[in-house]
Amino acid sequence: MKSTIITSLLAIAMTAGLQAQSVLRIRGSDTLGAKLVPQWAEGFKKQGGSVSFDIAAEGSTTAFTNLSAGTAEIGMSSRKVKDDERTFAKTKGVFLQEYNVAWDMIAVVVNKSNPVQTLTKKQVAGIFTGAIKDWSEVGGTPGPISVYTRNTSSGTYKDWQTLAMGGKDYASSSQKMAGNEQIAQEVASNKNGIGYVGYAYIKAKGIKVAEVDGHAPSVESVKKYPYSRPTFLYVNGKPDGNIKAFIDFVQSPAGDKISEVVGFIPVSQVK
Amino acid sequence: MSTEKSVSREIESDLIKPPGFLGLRMDRQKVIRAFFSTCATVTIITLVLIMWSLISEGPIKVGKAFGFLPYPTLKGGFLDTYRHELSVYRKAGLEFCDHVQKPLTEHEELLSRLKRALGADLNTVSKPSRDRRDAALLAKTHVEEKAALQREALEEALEKTEPATPPEKIAELRKSVTDATHIAVATETISDIFNKEEKEKLIAELNSLQPDQEDFPPFIQSLLAESAKKDAEAKEKFAAFVSAVDEFEAASEPVVEVHDSMKELALATKEKAVQQHMAEDARTQLLEAAATAKTPEQKAAFEKDAAETDTTEIDYKSAIEPIVAKLPDYEKLVQPYIEAIKKASAALPAKPETKEAHDLMEHFRKDFPKHLKTVEASVPRMKEWSWEKPVPMTQALTSFLFGGDWITNSSWQDFYGVLPLLTGSLVIALTALVIALPFSVGAAIYVNQFASLREQEIVKPLIEFIQAIPSVVLGFIGISVLGDLIKSTSGIPWLSWIPGFPVQERLNMFNAGVLLALMAIPTMFSLAEDAINNVPRAFSEASEALGATKLQTVFRVIVPASISGILAAMLLGLGRIVGETMVVLLVAGNRIAIPDFSDGIGTVFQPAHTLTGIIAQELGEVSRGSSHWQALFMVGILLFIISLFINWASRLVVKKFQLPKI
Repeated sequence: MKSTIITSLLAIAMTAGLQAQSVLRIRGSDTLGAKLVPQWAEGFKKQGGSVSFDIAAEGSTTAFTNLSAGTAEIGMSSRKVKDDERTFAKTKGVFLQEYNVAWDMIAVVVNKSNPVQTLTKKQVAGIFTGAIKDWSEVGGTPGPISVYTRNTSSGTYKDWQTLAMGGKDYASSSQKMAGNEQIAQEVASNKNGIGYVGYAYIKAKGIKVAEVDGHAPSVESVKKYPYSRPTFLYVNGKPDGNIKAFIDFVQSPAGDKISEVVGFIPVSQVK
Repeated sequence: MSTEKSVSREIESDLIKPPGFLGLRMDRQKVIRAFFSTCATVTIITLVLIMWSLISEGPIKVGKAFGFLPYPTLKGGFLDTYRHELSVYRKAGLEFCDHVQKPLTEHEELLSRLKRALGADLNTVSKPSRDRRDAALLAKTHVEEKAALQREALEEALEKTEPATPPEKIAELRKSVTDATHIAVATETISDIFNKEEKEKLIAELNSLQPDQEDFPPFIQSLLAESAKKDAEAKEKFAAFVSAVDEFEAASEPVVEVHDSMKELALATKEKAVQQHMAEDARTQLLEAAATAKTPEQKAAFEKDAAETDTTEIDYKSAIEPIVAKLPDYEKLVQPYIEAIKKASAALPAKPETKEAHDLMEHFRKDFPKHLKTVEASVPRMKEWSWEKPVPMTQALTSFLFGGDWITNSSWQDFYGVLPLLTGSLVIALTALVIALPFSVGAAIYVNQFASLREQEIVKPLIEFIQAIPSVVLGFIGISVLGDLIKSTSGIPWLSWIPGFPVQERLNMFNAGVLLALMAIPTMFSLAEDAINNVPRAFSEASEALGATKLQTVFRVIVPASISGILAAMLLGLGRIVGETMVVLLVAGNRIAIPDFSDGIGTVFQPAHTLTGIIAQELGEVSRGSSHWQALFMVGILLFIISLFINWASRLVVKKFQLPKI
């Protein structure tokens, strides 16, 4: 009796030990981590990769803190690594290797019942910096504009600042939401709302995409659309084993197919 | 006294063998006493450690003096880092540029108001036709969306050229589009803006929609033309107004140009300063890494990297010169700018058509002289300004405590002013307190004084049960139920007299306040009930013996006698409200701005961010040890101080209103 308990305990401990070896811990961007990377992981497992994944998406910055601390094998980021982050990683013996894995487009979304169809780049900048406060100023139904943005740690927050606002600060009246989903939800519930979401989220209920300078975000317009950006995976040094297999899978046609289905633009289609 | 005791104990232990405890030759009483005193000590040590970690991550940096012993220093702590950042802000000339930025921001605000006023007036002419246009376009979009699947299939088939889709296939697809469109049109309710004839026209046009049709169908086109014509008419009618607003807008353009060119230079200097600071940091880090490197090769590599880092000091003096040199340019622009906006505002219509426009114009006229003053004052201020003026340590502290901007992750300048968060926290806490107080104290009085035993047994545990609801769950209720409820209620026309109605945002301070009140009620109820229970029976018996009724006894004797306990309950409940995080993070709307108190009580319907919320939202994501990280710990310390103050106040209250001992 006793011996069976001990052996079974040992067996459990050993399998746990084996599993711990083949766990890929992925940390970082919410844009990538909410849908795309989990789907890649599923696809990778289906192809016969015997790995279990542990994915947490709390903003691009966490990708680099986790990689440096050795608490993640792969970092997801919707922006390029900053110089100081690279140096910090280096001092911890982590040499960041970058892979451009997909393109994302940030779409300006407004409430479905909003008559505004198209905005200019200047108007978008004005709205998000707070210079434009009312829908009547951009040809809509009069009413104060409610601006929803991502929270300050998000890569999208920072990217939007550079891409759309010329580096200016957000309006102090802007409301900081935890993720793309929450922005879509708030814009859908507020007829005066405006926000931005990743391309994968434009189909959410109750919202519609506003064209910018006459371009709607789409696979064809990725180069013309003003708010397109590449997204990245980061690993420590030259990858091997499961990490390499996973990165290879992501960059393979099968991986591209998944990015397309989820709502990203595969790198192969941009070039 | 104590020696006597120990002597007697010694004798005791010599005479009688102490009873063993778990095989130890120890007195059981002693063991139990030791256990409890250890618990108390550990608790106190933990508290001290928490305070220490808060302080050492925030304002004070812990260095290493003798091997492992830490010694605290202000250098490298929050105040020091923030002061350094503020001094770069000054030395690089960003502060100088912000003197121009301020009037420009005001100009933007005034302009926005004018545009809204103009829009309201233009609406009187153009709204009906625009509504018709929008209704038709909306119906068209709906129909197209409902038939999207079929439309996409057809589009794909039409685009295919090699080999081309056979015509019969295209015809088939066209038919499916038509069918789907018919169904969609049948389920679409056409707005009553159109009369019967127009409706029929529109329905016929919608029915014939095909994806390769590029132009709008004729009726919709006529609506577009009509709306454009009305727009033009409106602009014609208010031509003076339109041109005045345009003039007002154009007036700032040359100033913006000068400002932009100044900003570019300042940012370049700041970028250099940041790079240099980072390089210094990197070098120390590399040197530290070299000191602890495992292999000689690694060590050499780190040392080589460290030697290669460029840490030459920045020549702020020569960097600032071209920026300051632009001051005469700006000065030359000030008078023409003032004249231009004065002229434009004189050309504004004295009496706008609509009430809305009238209100906005009033607002504009009130703020206009202030703006003129700011513009005029900017030049002397800039002349006084000097890049060499040092930033004292106290300024770092005051701009943290009284700063009105909490701007992080900015590409211009980060500011850590805690005021917007503090006001948010306080307004939410007060709202919650005002809601929770009558309920909890009322319930306590009822349960203790009026309820039957059976009622007591039911009501008390039920109220205390509220505490068992996890705050995340309450947050969900706030988002999905309460928020929508508040928003839809506020939309009811006959309730519009309530200040702040109709509510713009469903996530706001009031919503958070209601939920926090719910969370504070059990605490406040339990404590208040205890306080009432502690009133000696002699009081009520004496009162009743004098012939007082139950109500008189309760409100004249028991409540006044227990007022100290009730007030303490209120304050401790407040402490709970201020410290709560999850609910405010989910429900308060997270807008980092000092609320606009001009709405009076309606202010509570604005969104806000809080001290606890900002820590929860940002701490997980900032890089460790950065000024942002330290600022968040400063916020933690501030929260700690507020809680301490509340607890201290409640003790004071209990003492002050204590009943005389009988």
